[in-house]
Amino acid sequence: MTSASPPTLNAADYPLSINRPELLRTPTGKPITALTMDSVVSGDLSPADLRIAPETLQLQAQLAEASGRPQLAANFRRAAEMTAIPDQEVLAMYNALRPRASTAEQLAALAERLEGTYTAPVCAALVREAAEVYARRGLLARPEAGGDADAGAPAGSPAATPVTTAATAAAARADREEGQPA
Amino acid sequence: MTSTRPRQSLRTEILESRPVNLDGFVEEWPEKGLVAMESDFDPAPSIRVQDGRVVELDGTERADFDFMDTFIADHAIDVASAEASVAIPSAEIARMLIDPGVSRGDVLAVSRGLTPAKILDVVKLMNVVEIMQGMQKMRARRTPANQGHSTSARDNPIQVAADAAEGALRGFAELETTLGVVRYAPLVAIALQVGGQVGRGGVLTQCALEEATELELGMRGITAYAETISIYGTESVFIDGDDTPWSKSFLAAAYASRGIKMRFTSGTGSEVQMGNAEGKSMLYLEIRCILMAKGAGVQGLQNGSISCIGVPGAVPGGLRAVAAENLVASMVDLECASGNDQSFSHSAMRRTARAMPQMLPGTDFVCSGYSSVPNADNMFAGSNFDTDDFDDWNTIQRDFQVDGGLRHVREDEILAARNKAARALQAVFAHLDLPSITDDEVEAATYANSSNDYPLRDVLADLKAAQSVMDREVTGLDLVKALESAGFHDVAENLLTVLRQRVSGDLLQTSAVLTADFTPLSAINDPNDYAGPGTGYRLSGERWEQLKKLRHVTSASNPETEVG
Repeated sequence: MTSASPPTLNAADYPLSINRPELLRTPTGKPITALTMDSVVSGDLSPADLRIAPETLQLQAQLAEASGRPQLAANFRRAAEMTAIPDQEVLAMYNALRPRASTAEQLAALAERLEGTYTAPVCAALVREAAEVYARRGLLARPEAGGDADAGAPAGSPAATPVTTAATAAAARADREEGQPA
Repeated sequence: MTSTRPRQSLRTEILESRPVNLDGFVEEWPEKGLVAMESDFDPAPSIRVQDGRVVELDGTERADFDFMDTFIADHAIDVASAEASVAIPSAEIARMLIDPGVSRGDVLAVSRGLTPAKILDVVKLMNVVEIMQGMQKMRARRTPANQGHSTSARDNPIQVAADAAEGALRGFAELETTLGVVRYAPLVAIALQVGGQVGRGGVLTQCALEEATELELGMRGITAYAETISIYGTESVFIDGDDTPWSKSFLAAAYASRGIKMRFTSGTGSEVQMGNAEGKSMLYLEIRCILMAKGAGVQGLQNGSISCIGVPGAVPGGLRAVAAENLVASMVDLECASGNDQSFSHSAMRRTARAMPQMLPGTDFVCSGYSSVPNADNMFAGSNFDTDDFDDWNTIQRDFQVDGGLRHVREDEILAARNKAARALQAVFAHLDLPSITDDEVEAATYANSSNDYPLRDVLADLKAAQSVMDREVTGLDLVKALESAGFHDVAENLLTVLRQRVSGDLLQTSAVLTADFTPLSAINDPNDYAGPGTGYRLSGERWEQLKKLRHVTSASNPETEVG
């Protein structure tokens, strides 16, 4: 309940919703036990009350770490930072990271915004790392206008090339009435 | 019939007419990657670490890394143990996988340092029975489960609600839908969410759509998880999919930041089908996908060729490679939703055989998913199993005493759940001012098999309403209110409890599902502890009694009657 220093958790605390509900609060500051049907009916709950709080993601990161899953823990720490970013901006940031969607300058600005506006250094580091790899692999948008208009085929529309003719013909034969790869 | 053909034997004529001969088969073509898992063009394993950084990976120097190599080297491989792990003879690691004296944790201590080529080198040594033995131990969650598809050829929300309720009752832990007409998505996703909670509390639902829309429905609490986040094993195909390992990692964190469970999707054959396998075997490329997913920190992966199953299914050893890719996902500690989700063969015998390497050892989700509607209604292009196969599936579970996640349910229970789901959706639509659901539609839903058995909807009115759901920003909370105010207290409470789960984040951990009493069950509190005969998950007790029941079982005490 006290938010002074986060508790140290181990695997036995999982699931938190059952074993440690007192640690769980909504981003709006309500305890998870306040999320009752009565509060739904009376209109006391808003969709914001059904979101996960950054502190909770840090607790889940601890559990992941304690279970030998450092990458999962790192994902939760990025996620904790991202809780502050509005939905639409999260989607826009994702789109900016697609191949040839952004110039080096745009990715640098994105990393700065993550770090400065949202205090999201772990996410910013991921974007900077991407920028470096994109530069090396030719995946940055060309600065000149219109240069990136044809970047990226739509997902799930494989090109039929001579290479795959035999395979796709075989697959198509089996999937006669069926459709697309995804 | 032409008179110039040489005379065939009568036996050949019969064999020619067998369904299996409608399937497609091709020769291997390793230069183009049309080969399952044994190719001279795959790299040999190697690793070199300098100053805490991988500087050589499977024969490639860091300066020549493509973005898959870079991402795997920097995020997936444990540099502290990598050189020692890769130095262990592959045969020894393969033996660890099947040796009951070696725990799952002992294997993970080695596998976290392995390179893609080394993992391939290990599983290449294993035959399909050994692969199954490995899966039995390496599956992350101790208790196996199953996932269903609940879709409609007419995108009819009432059908989706009723079939979701039946599917949940039959045992699916997760239910997935998708659309023929994408604009129908909000109504169908609502139907799935409501229907699923009628069948049994705690079922998790998802709606497979383009990435951004899928995330938006999740953010609103209209769906509970996501899995159609595709990744690929070559840089060129990854780019064709308009993503990179970094964009997908960002997306993974975005889902977690909204408390939404998520897994990636990949599978053998996708790269060759999309035209650029870079001359590597299907399994080598899939192992790169698996390690990319691991590096991204996503909790799990849907793999097992998935929608490309026709490709490995057409080459020698293809289904062995598919079983191996599931094992690799599990042996690097990811949740594995193991395919068996796309029709690939006209042969019932071959369809059944294809599922045995997952069904017999058990996986986190044996099918991802099983069509819990007739295949003609399956908008994922048809699954390997559908509603017609329910009784066969249940019988196979009983024959072999294995838990494939489903059970036989009595007709009266099914009718009651279907009827209630349709009525609950009727109430929700009325509450939200959506086009009304008539009592005739409710009656049809109770007894229907397919979308043909329902009155036609006014599609234009539905699509307008679907748009209004998005414009008015209807959320999962609105569904709870609607259900509660219409007197469906238990369904409302179930849905609220599912929504509340995202506040706790418990479903974000590896292999998490919700039990019927809303206990999160994951690799943390239900870890696979298989250690040989008599250990690990055993089908016994109450669950085994459930699975002994079939549609027709003769009573031992009175052979004139049936039990169940």
